[in-house]
Amino acid sequence: MGVMADRLEASLDGLADTREFGSWMVAEQKRIFLLCRRMLQDVEEADSATQDTFLKAWLALKRPESRDLDDPSKWVTRIAINTCLDRLRSRRWQFWRKRPHPDDEATVLSMAPSADPDAERQVMAREIVERLERALDKLSNRQRAAFTLRHYEDRSLAEIAGILDLHVGTVKVHLFRAVEKLREELHDLYFREGRK
Amino acid sequence: MKHWTETDFEQGLYGLKDRDAHLDECPECRGELERLTQERRRVAAQPEVSREFLEAQRRNIYRRLEEPRRNWVAWRWVISAAMLLALALGLTLQRSRPTAPAISDDQLFSDLSRMEQSAEPKAIQPLHSLFEE
Ligand SMILES: [Zn+2]
Repeated sequence: MGVMADRLEASLDGLADTREFGSWMVAEQKRIFLLCRRMLQDVEEADSATQDTFLKAWLALKRPESRDLDDPSKWVTRIAINTCLDRLRSRRWQFWRKRPHPDDEATVLSMAPSADPDAERQVMAREIVERLERALDKLSNRQRAAFTLRHYEDRSLAEIAGILDLHVGTVKVHLFRAVEKLREELHDLYFREGRK
Repeated sequence: MKHWTETDFEQGLYGLKDRDAHLDECPECRGELERLTQERRRVAAQPEVSREFLEAQRRNIYRRLEEPRRNWVAWRWVISAAMLLALALGLTLQRSRPTAPAISDDQLFSDLSRMEQSAEPKAIQPLHSLFEE
C-alpha cells in the first residue's frame, strides 16, 4: 500500500513539474525560436535547435542542484545560444547542407500589421527589417550572438557577457565590429529619408 | 553646441557610447535617441510566428521528453526477453549434452601420454614407412 502511494505521489509530482515546465516554455518559446532563427538563418534548423534547447533545459532542471535559478530567462537564452554556436561550428563541415527555402519561412513567419497607414511605406519598412535579418549572415558567430542579444533582446553588455561567457570588453569589440558590418542596413533602418 | 552624429546615435544604441554632457542638456538629441530605441524595440518584436507552428514544436518537445522513458521501457523488454531466451537455451543444452563418465587419475595420465606420442600429424605417418627398412 505504501509503495503504491509513493508511486502515485511521484507521478503526480512529475505531472505538476511537466505542467509548470509547459507554461514556462509557452512564455519563452517564441523568443527562443526567433533567437535561434536569427543565429542560424534557417527556420527548420532553428526549430530543431529550439527543441534541443528546451530538452536540455528540462534535463538540467531534473537535476536537484539546478533547481534554484535566479534568472531562468537568461539561463535558457544561454542554452539556446550555445546550442546555436555548436550547430554553426559543425556547419562548417556540412558543405552539402541545403539552403533554406523562402517558402518555408513564409508559412511559419509573418509580419505584424504596421500602424503606418501608408501602404508603400509599410512595404519598405518590412523590406528593411528583413534585409537586416539576412545581413546577420555577414557577421562572425560571436558577433552575431552579441548583436542579436543587444539589438533584438535589448540586453545590457554585462548580461551579454554573462550569457556568452566573455569579458564586457570583448563583447564591446564584437558589437563594434557587428555595427560596422551592418552600417548600411542600420542606416536605412534608423535614418532613411521620410522615417522621422 | 554640437549635436550627436549618426555614428554617435548608433554607438549609443548598442552600448558603445555612454550618455554624455551634451545628451543631458540637449532635449533634441535625447528625443532622437528615444525615437531610435523605440524603433529598435518595434523591429525586435517582428516577425510573428504562426501559432500552429509553435504548437507543433511543443508537441515535438513533449514527444522527445517522453522518449528516454519509452526507450528504457522498450529496452527492459528486450533485456528480459534476451535473458529468458538465454535461460531456455541453457536448459536445452544442459539436457541434450551427453554426461561425460568420470575417469580415474590413471586413465587420465595414460590418455595424456598417448596424446603426446601421437603428436605428429597423421598425414605424415605413411611417409615414415618409406624410410624404414
Ligand atoms: Zn543635440
